[in-house]
Amino acid sequence: METLITGKALILACSAIGAGLAMIAGIGPGIGQGYAAGKGAEAVGRQPESQGDIVRTMLLGAAVAETTGIYGLVIALILLFANPLVGML
Amino acid sequence: MESIKKMQFDMLRKVILVICFISGASVFVLDEPLGFIYGLVFGSGISLLNFFELANTLNRAVLMRPDKAQSFTVIKYFIRYIVTAIVVYISIVAPYINVLGTILGLIIIKLIILVSNLLGDKNYFKKIFRRKEDESSGQ
Repeated sequence: METLITGKALILACSAIGAGLAMIAGIGPGIGQGYAAGKGAEAVGRQPESQGDIVRTMLLGAAVAETTGIYGLVIALILLFANPLVGML
Repeated sequence: MESIKKMQFDMLRKVILVICFISGASVFVLDEPLGFIYGLVFGSGISLLNFFELANTLNRAVLMRPDKAQSFTVIKYFIRYIVTAIVVYISIVAPYINVLGTILGLIIIKLIILVSNLLGDKNYFKKIFRRKEDESSGQ
């Protein structure tokens, strides 16, 4: 029995794979933030009086790093739920 | 701790100012600005809440043991990530919210941090073409 793969089915399948690959971008900031927090805890243990400065610097860095994960998330969700490529067929 | 509270308040003030400016500009530029403004307010509100939650998480994490702080921060990060995913999904599904406004609202906090803390510093531009090797040799 012969089954045909339509163009739409191929685009949807590739979009699902692409969404999965884009979600990998969300893992990196999580690992990085955790590593930074661990090092921050070590730094506060060494110099408890500069806790405010350490947290403030870490907060700015972590907030900037977090948006990088959001880019991947947005790409994945748009590929899954609002795919612009399907309409081009 | 006072400096962190002050920074959070400063960030809130700047985000509200930038949202007002972008919303005002979108009224003149876009054909249907209401969906865009809804998305902008929705995205930036969640982004600010995420920022406050991040500050809370880091304040608690630095008082823990390093290995426990690491796992605690990663768990909290993924909770915030799921919240962001729900926000983006809702803005895609709901017809009255513009998804581009939501995305702009979510990343606006990064732009404000970069502009106010890095690009707002004049020394950054003075040192931008200076080589590290020259600084270490005392020239």
